[in-house]
Amino acid sequence: MRLNDWQRELEAYLLGGDPTASPALRASLLGSPALSAEQGLAIYHNAYRARLLEALRGDYPAVHGWLGDTEFDSLAGAYIAAHPSRHFSLRWLGAELANFIDTYLVPAQAAPLGELARLEWAFGLAFDAAEADPLTLAQVASLPAEAWPNLQVRLLPSVHWQLCRHNSLALWRASKAQDAFPASTALEQAQVCLIWRHGLVSQYRSLEPDEAAALHGMAVAGWSFAELCAHLHQLGQEAPLQAATWLRQWLGDGLLQRHGG
Amino acid sequence: MSAESSSLGYGLGLRTPYYQAILEQRPAVDWFEIISENYLVEGGKPLYYLDAIGEHYPLVMHGVSLSIGGPHQLDRDYLRRLKRLAQRVQPAWISDHLCWSRGNAHQLHDLLPLPYTEESLQHVVARVRQVQDVLERPLVLENVSSYLRSADDQFSEWQFLAALSELSGCELLLDVNNVYVSARNHGFEPWDFISGLPKQRIRQLHLAGHSDYGSYLIDTHDQPVSDPVWQLYQRTLRHLGPVATLLERDDHYPVLNELLGELEQARAYAAVALQEYRPCA
Repeated sequence: MRLNDWQRELEAYLLGGDPTASPALRASLLGSPALSAEQGLAIYHNAYRARLLEALRGDYPAVHGWLGDTEFDSLAGAYIAAHPSRHFSLRWLGAELANFIDTYLVPAQAAPLGELARLEWAFGLAFDAAEADPLTLAQVASLPAEAWPNLQVRLLPSVHWQLCRHNSLALWRASKAQDAFPASTALEQAQVCLIWRHGLVSQYRSLEPDEAAALHGMAVAGWSFAELCAHLHQLGQEAPLQAATWLRQWLGDGLLQRHGG
Repeated sequence: MSAESSSLGYGLGLRTPYYQAILEQRPAVDWFEIISENYLVEGGKPLYYLDAIGEHYPLVMHGVSLSIGGPHQLDRDYLRRLKRLAQRVQPAWISDHLCWSRGNAHQLHDLLPLPYTEESLQHVVARVRQVQDVLERPLVLENVSSYLRSADDQFSEWQFLAALSELSGCELLLDVNNVYVSARNHGFEPWDFISGLPKQRIRQLHLAGHSDYGSYLIDTHDQPVSDPVWQLYQRTLRHLGPVATLLERDDHYPVLNELLGELEQARAYAAVALQEYRPCA
């Protein structure tokens, strides 16, 4: 059999659900008294599945913990069948799991589980995101007064913005602490959860709606500091103080880099 | 003659459970082998520890995704990233495996064996040359353990490796445990394999443990090195002289001191074996 054809046969075999090989593939192989061709094929077939499952379990410990082994493996198996790996690193195998959950499960199940999966994936993204020097409080404090109104910032590469409508963060924390999972509940009010890396350590914080809107305005929509103050007009004279307080918090968190200027 | 003048000594695979202990203890390891893919990331802890440990120890890059025998186009993006990592790490050499790990459409995340035919030899030689052009250095290729054998084989695995090395200029990473495992599984003599390789092309050795399933073995890299593999290692050194040796453990990680103890065993076995080495014998 030509090399290309043999490789096509073996690839189809590994990706397929049936551990029995096609007659053409089987005929192309030699077994030995110690290891038959069927045994050899099964070793690779099992290993493919086991390796991918292990990667997904590693990336989604909270989803795994919440569903349990049987249900998680069933979900993971369906996911792998729908999304065979296309990146050389298994690190990226699980990138579409949350989206898959949204289409695969009924909405009542998908909404909280998909949200938890998104949260877990965001932690992974923050872990090995690109380095960047955070804008510091000291750097901003040393700016001349006239530079403040036009000050612009952006989020650092490791910052991920998750909107939570369910208590996914509580589930995630329980998984991390190896505590019993609380029941899944919808939050009274949707909350933004920020996930980022400060130095080498992953951080997370939930934001009240006002702060989330302010951070989004300045660091995503691109408002200058002056524009942020203007958007806080309902606070009147307190607007610059509130804006400065938040900015100080974000700088201390290590969320921001300077934009322009 | 073996690559004696460049023997790097006795190394360990760099693994995340040992990062902190390595920096704190500065163990008596001559070098570390990194899994290249673990460091093809943008930032964070992996690169931090890579840089910190690289300040104190020589490093070797060992990849698992090159898929040198694959049916696909060579992944130029992967090669560029590998080269960029090499600029950061300044590795003593860059290695991967004689295998394929990606099909036409999908990644298969395994080290799949090739048929040992004239066709696959020409295919791999051409790709090795391209990779060496990009990386601007010889590639070092490891013999994998295999659980399938093609009915179309025109060469033995060792004849194939020898011809590949001769035709492409690549060097060889001789995994002694993989030879032992494949020899048991396919029914050949381990020494036929090792003695059939060109001595001067062998850049490095791997030692690892395997799991015994009765009639066959699986190369699990999660056990201490077995006695027959130690014996094969000693015989290899009597034949080759000193060659950089790496102890591999990829699962069931013991405490670092246990691996250091096993590495000392390797040094001790090597010291005895090398007393009987005669260059150009």
